[in-house]
Amino acid sequence: MKRMLGAALLALSVAAPVADTWAQPAPRNTLVILREIDADRFDPHRTTARSAGESLYMMSDTLVSLDFDMRTIRPGLAERWDVSEDGRLYTFHLRRDVTFCDGRPMTAQDVVYSINRWIDPATRSPVRWRAGPVKEVRAKDDHTVEYELNEPFGELLYQLTLFFASVVDRNAVERLGDNFGVQGFNGTGPYCWVSWTPRQELVLQRHPNYSWGPPIYQNPRPQVERVIWRIVPESQTRIAALQTGQADITQYIPHIAIPQMRQMPNVRMSTQENYFWDYFLGFKVDKPVVSDPAIRRAVNQAVNREAIVRAVFFGQAQPADAYLNPNVEGFDAEAAKLVPRFDPDAARRTLDEAGWRMGPDNVRVKDGQRASFLVYAINTQIARQSLEAIQADLRRVGIEMRIQLWDATVGWGRLATQEFDAFTMSYPYVTATDAFSLYFDSQNRPTPNRMNWADPATDEALRKARTAVDPEVRQRAIAEAQRIIASNYVWLPIARDQIWVASSQRVEGVRAHGIYGVGLYKGLDIRLTR
Amino acid sequence: MSATTAQPAAEVRPPRRAGLLRRLLRDPGAAVALVFAVLIVLAAVFAPLLAPTDPYDNDLSLAMQPPGSPGLPLGADSQGRDMITRLLYGLRVSLLMGVAAVAFGGSIGALLGFLAAFYQRWLDGPIMRLMDMMLSFPAILVGLAIAAIFGPGIFSVVLALSIATVPLMARIARSSALVVMRLDYIEAARATGMTDFRLIWRHLAPNCLSAIFVFGTLRFGQVILLGSALSFLGLGAQPPTPELGAMASEGRNFLFFAPHIAVIPCVVIFAIVLAFNVLGDALRDALDPRLRV
Repeated sequence: MKRMLGAALLALSVAAPVADTWAQPAPRNTLVILREIDADRFDPHRTTARSAGESLYMMSDTLVSLDFDMRTIRPGLAERWDVSEDGRLYTFHLRRDVTFCDGRPMTAQDVVYSINRWIDPATRSPVRWRAGPVKEVRAKDDHTVEYELNEPFGELLYQLTLFFASVVDRNAVERLGDNFGVQGFNGTGPYCWVSWTPRQELVLQRHPNYSWGPPIYQNPRPQVERVIWRIVPESQTRIAALQTGQADITQYIPHIAIPQMRQMPNVRMSTQENYFWDYFLGFKVDKPVVSDPAIRRAVNQAVNREAIVRAVFFGQAQPADAYLNPNVEGFDAEAAKLVPRFDPDAARRTLDEAGWRMGPDNVRVKDGQRASFLVYAINTQIARQSLEAIQADLRRVGIEMRIQLWDATVGWGRLATQEFDAFTMSYPYVTATDAFSLYFDSQNRPTPNRMNWADPATDEALRKARTAVDPEVRQRAIAEAQRIIASNYVWLPIARDQIWVASSQRVEGVRAHGIYGVGLYKGLDIRLTR
Repeated sequence: MSATTAQPAAEVRPPRRAGLLRRLLRDPGAAVALVFAVLIVLAAVFAPLLAPTDPYDNDLSLAMQPPGSPGLPLGADSQGRDMITRLLYGLRVSLLMGVAAVAFGGSIGALLGFLAAFYQRWLDGPIMRLMDMMLSFPAILVGLAIAAIFGPGIFSVVLALSIATVPLMARIARSSALVVMRLDYIEAARATGMTDFRLIWRHLAPNCLSAIFVFGTLRFGQVILLGSALSFLGLGAQPPTPELGAMASEGRNFLFFAPHIAVIPCVVIFAIVLAFNVLGDALRDALDPRLRV
């Protein structure tokens, strides 16, 4: 007995140090944030990954910032700005106290360099168009930037809040070359680059001089000494780490776990209703079967979005009864009414009236053509499950939807082809004009306008929505575009995702933001109580 | 069987059925495995008659109902479909994939093995080195490559599994054929002026059948497992087609919340593979005395 006890103690003493390192709580004054996947690089002009944006918002700043309402533009590096009457010249008056992480003061030349680097074709930024039709960006003096456009671009200030418009240090870019944002970074953000171990962690430390945080926060200075962005691919592990205090914050929570986490006493959950990340199914409008508006209308009527939101998103999303979130700038309520409501009988009537007769295999037929179409998607749990639910709904009204799921490694390539009739994906957006210009402008075929939607009236409305100087004209134009798209059933809007940022007990001041899907935005106001 | 005879055609029948079955059933484990395998096959064949519901019709309000819920003895999956129905139809797909892969890959492999043994001088080296090369590719990798070319689907999985089966079967068939090739009746048959093709078809192949049959049975279990793994990775059956591996993969996301969705198909896969492995082993034992020439 004694021997056994001794052996047990010995075993325990061996195991204890191991268990200790494993269950080690996050160190004092170090904020550990978990995410699912790592970024490709942290160069704002050469990446579009959300995970890059998460850290870039912390490491760098933009000229202007966006409030939690997702509509109000607030000061950033620019303390104020003027827009010329013709809408072609934006003059940004910069703060004078801004320095980079290495201590060098930031000037108008740095802003000019960064914007020019972003829009330089040689940089190959996939989102260069977001900078607008730039004529010239120039420094009037050390603290004034003139941003001149070829034609007015009403979206400009919104686009300049995105991390693609981050200001970077020219010296660091030139010193690191291709490795900028891989081996190092120098920005003006509240936290500075320390090290990056790809697929493991990115370590940042507090920017000591930083006092120019956007006024949407209570305290413009960072209050945490170190920030570690750690990669934990497995969702259950992320949740467990948060519960046990090994990590402090994550926004990567599977929908199924959200209700449970909201009940946990040692986890705080923050959400925000102005979160613009939508799921939709798009039709290639020039392909057989789905080129018939009656089919697209019937699909919109046949699919029970509420049931999908309950079963696939576990109620942690909103059924998308419109193409856009009603809280987004430029949303048109009239267009939303044009999106058919769930009514399977109406779907059957629509198909009957259009001449689609029920065939022998319970799939409708018209002129010898079966009501069958092929949908592509990247193989994610949400895509798979929502497509299966849609498939079952459509089967009930006599439409066959064939699903082909692809691994992410080949999926994006496949989604750029013309092999499929419909596809599903999700995307973040800032404004109505932003979302619609991206997807419905005929110039954006074949991607991201995978619907092949080419309509001069839409193009004209979108052009007006972007370029009109008068906000009223812009609103009318974007409303017009929404009505055209909704009445042509180009998409099946599925769901509007909801953002939840979970934080551990020792963290205070976390407030979900959600710009471009990024939960923490600048990461200010966050404090650690121990 | 060692006796030389002028009438080899009558001599080379595989072991008599009755004797084999009796010997097989003498082992209680094998008996259970056999009964289970037969039941599984019957369940798959008669799935449309046995299934309580339509396998494709969902009811999202029943999503993830646990086993034992009213009307759902095994619960419902994430689309609210009866697990029993999905399993029965999933069995069909999984077993069919296994049968197709073993039959297709096995016959090509066996043919290559015979050719290698028969034309030992010219073909043995090239064929068997090719088989060695094929053996050095992990089946999962082959599956990934094929899915990238043809797109994920049942066809891709069957193709990958067949390709993975060919070299293994070729080795078994070759080694078994090499033994047979040395026997006198082959020499005798050759002396009668038989063509090579006839010789392989009438004399060589039938006498290697038991080894091929045993390996086919064992391989069937492995292939089901491998096929499920490929489906689990999303390379196999596309929704809404039920397949055991794909069902397990779908349930993996809810392992903590609704474990039955993943666990039940895994248990079924486990049982099938175990049954066919036990059966294959027993079959080998039962056939062994006859193999020892």
